Amino acid sequence: MAEIVGAFGVPHTPVFPFFVKRDGPDSEIARFFKALTDELVALRPDLIVMFDTDHLNTFFLDNLPIFAVGVTETFKGPNDEPREVPDYTIKSLPDFAAHVRKTGIDAVFDLGMVQEFTVDHSVVVPLHFMTPQMQIPVIPIFINGHIPPLPPAKRCFELGRSVKRAIETWPKPLRVVTMGSGSFSLDVWGPRIAPGRTDGVPDPDWAKRVCELIEQMQVPTLIGEATEAQMLKAGNVGGELLNWIAMLGTLGERKPEFVKPQMANGHAYAAWRGK
Amino acid sequence: MSVFAVNHLCRELLRDHAFRAAMKADPAKALEGKNLTGPERDALLAGDVATLYRMGVNSFLMGYLCRFEVCGLTLPVYNERIRSAAPQGGH
Repeated sequence: MAEIVGAFGVPHTPVFPFFVKRDGPDSEIARFFKALTDELVALRPDLIVMFDTDHLNTFFLDNLPIFAVGVTETFKGPNDEPREVPDYTIKSLPDFAAHVRKTGIDAVFDLGMVQEFTVDHSVVVPLHFMTPQMQIPVIPIFINGHIPPLPPAKRCFELGRSVKRAIETWPKPLRVVTMGSGSFSLDVWGPRIAPGRTDGVPDPDWAKRVCELIEQMQVPTLIGEATEAQMLKAGNVGGELLNWIAMLGTLGERKPEFVKPQMANGHAYAAWRGK
Repeated sequence: MSVFAVNHLCRELLRDHAFRAAMKADPAKALEGKNLTGPERDALLAGDVATLYRMGVNSFLMGYLCRFEVCGLTLPVYNERIRSAAPQGGH
């Protein structure tokens, strides 16, 4: 049987690869991603299941699923030209992805399927830092965290639970890690960006609160407080928290190995170990 | 559905390099034939991202207008204009 050997919460800021190339391995971004990478290497995963919110680059406003699973042998990215990120081809496991989707549909999640697709920085940037050889297959699960109406936090947590069941019922031995990609408070190119910048953190208190709740694994409280109004108040990509909440649904109650907040960006880096 | 056309052409700035070049060279000509209302066309050509935002254009798609510096938008200009659309008491 497959098993969940760990989980990660990751940021995906598209300019971070440029910053790390410019500022070197001692920069905070590089050090925080190295901490995640060290954990990933130690866990020796065979598969990454990533909960992600596309920025209207895989999908668009004419065809926008609330939830969708990538079911394919390979996919490419990034499709949105982040600086200093090469073009990658990323392996996947379509049979496993189809099993994840069927398990979800059996649990009354109307999971869309996408088979020919590319992905943007939100999938590729964390992988660029953590597994640049792209040797580990990745299954993306897309959650609409940007375009209201957003799915409820409780629903996303239960989606994570369904993914956990899918992993645990897969008959072959596989070491799986799950990831949630995104920010807690961030406005990108919107009216609440900071002076002189392309982004801003409209609700730093919320980002701090989310970090505290995750560190203490007070997940029911987090789900209760992560209303659509709160997430949108936290910025136009504040709903990316839903990816973290889905990831938390794949876990038990074990506390994280670490949570490293980066409050200037309204996000954090976090890692959990499985059994 | 016209706001959809604005959103779509913003994304085409990323995907369609020929359209990107055309928008940089002569935006009015590049927008000919697009399914835009007069106010949308005017706001685009003026780089009036605050008005576009109020019309319902997605802000991170609008960011491509600035990223590729079309319609007179540089980061300082874009930043000042979009921030003027912030609700009172906002960031």
